[in-house]
Amino acid sequence: MARRKGLVINDRQLDRCDDLLQKLKEVSGSSFLALISTSGQPITTASDTYHPETLSLASLAASSFAATQQLARILDENEFTLLFHEGSALNLHVSQVNEQVLLIVTFGRETQVGKVRLYTQRAIEVLRQIFDGPDDGTTPTMDADFESSAGTAIDDLFKDV
Amino acid sequence: MPLINFAAREINYKIVYYGCGLCGKTTNLQYIHRKINPEARGKLVSIATEEERTLYFDFLPLTLGTVKGMQTRFHLYTVPGQSYYNASRKLVLQGVDGVIFVADSQITRLDENVESYLNLWDNLLSQGDDLSKLGFVIQMNKRDLGDVFSVEDLNELLNHTGSPVTESSAVIGEGVFDTLKVVCKQVIAKTG
Repeated sequence: MARRKGLVINDRQLDRCDDLLQKLKEVSGSSFLALISTSGQPITTASDTYHPETLSLASLAASSFAATQQLARILDENEFTLLFHEGSALNLHVSQVNEQVLLIVTFGRETQVGKVRLYTQRAIEVLRQIFDGPDDGTTPTMDADFESSAGTAIDDLFKDV
Repeated sequence: MPLINFAAREINYKIVYYGCGLCGKTTNLQYIHRKINPEARGKLVSIATEEERTLYFDFLPLTLGTVKGMQTRFHLYTVPGQSYYNASRKLVLQGVDGVIFVADSQITRLDENVESYLNLWDNLLSQGDDLSKLGFVIQMNKRDLGDVFSVEDLNELLNHTGSPVTESSAVIGEGVFDTLKVVCKQVIAKTG
């Protein structure tokens, strides 16, 4: 079960993730890739032409993956490390990077599943180094006035409803 | 703790509506979806049974806009209230920053409220969460109906943490946004 601890991403991590996703998209022949948190929030995406609704996709993929993990436990399996859905035109592949991050890959029927799996597994090894590596001290902190400014924004958002 | 993406200048908080079956969790989300500025919300996703009872969760993303350079979002979820869906409730609670416990104020629903309330804390504790960092509000719903507990009585029965309490009639929208406002401010204050 995931413990509640912060996932904070800095510029360097995101740049490396974006580069990696772009390469993975090219070599694997996939159409859309996204890194999301296991609690269902998108981190970054790589896509040329296909733009699904990322927020809903992240929420549903993370929930499906979490359900899959529980199925594994019920079946006395240590873990199911990926989730795969095959469609008539599109396939969805969700795999775990670490305790807090999942990788979503969608690809068409013209792309071989094995190819996607192979390159995705290689990419995950690099992604783990990005997310699990030591803090390089470049992560900024929140603006000290964030709380008061957010409070004002919340009042504004809800004032006319 | 929320997902803070400094590189993309984004911060996302997860808020979960919890409570027994038919207490009004989905009704809260449907009202928010109907009434809030459409530009500030995404699609309402519901995984429900044919009888429109929540099977897994409802999901509604809200965008607060850019605050101090950070695009700030709240991801609202409900859980299935029926007791036999506890495995699903645990999954929805993963990574939660704030909980709205929706209590059905009707006297006849006391047992279900208490069971759900205890179940919530069981599930949170089993995740090993630092509960001091969790936003928490109790929404006393269905105040428009007859034969309901007084706020004082319900508070004594359900609020062992001394958390903020709101009153609502979610079906007509009363108190829905007041409750959400309280928990949104809490999660920002508690998680920074």
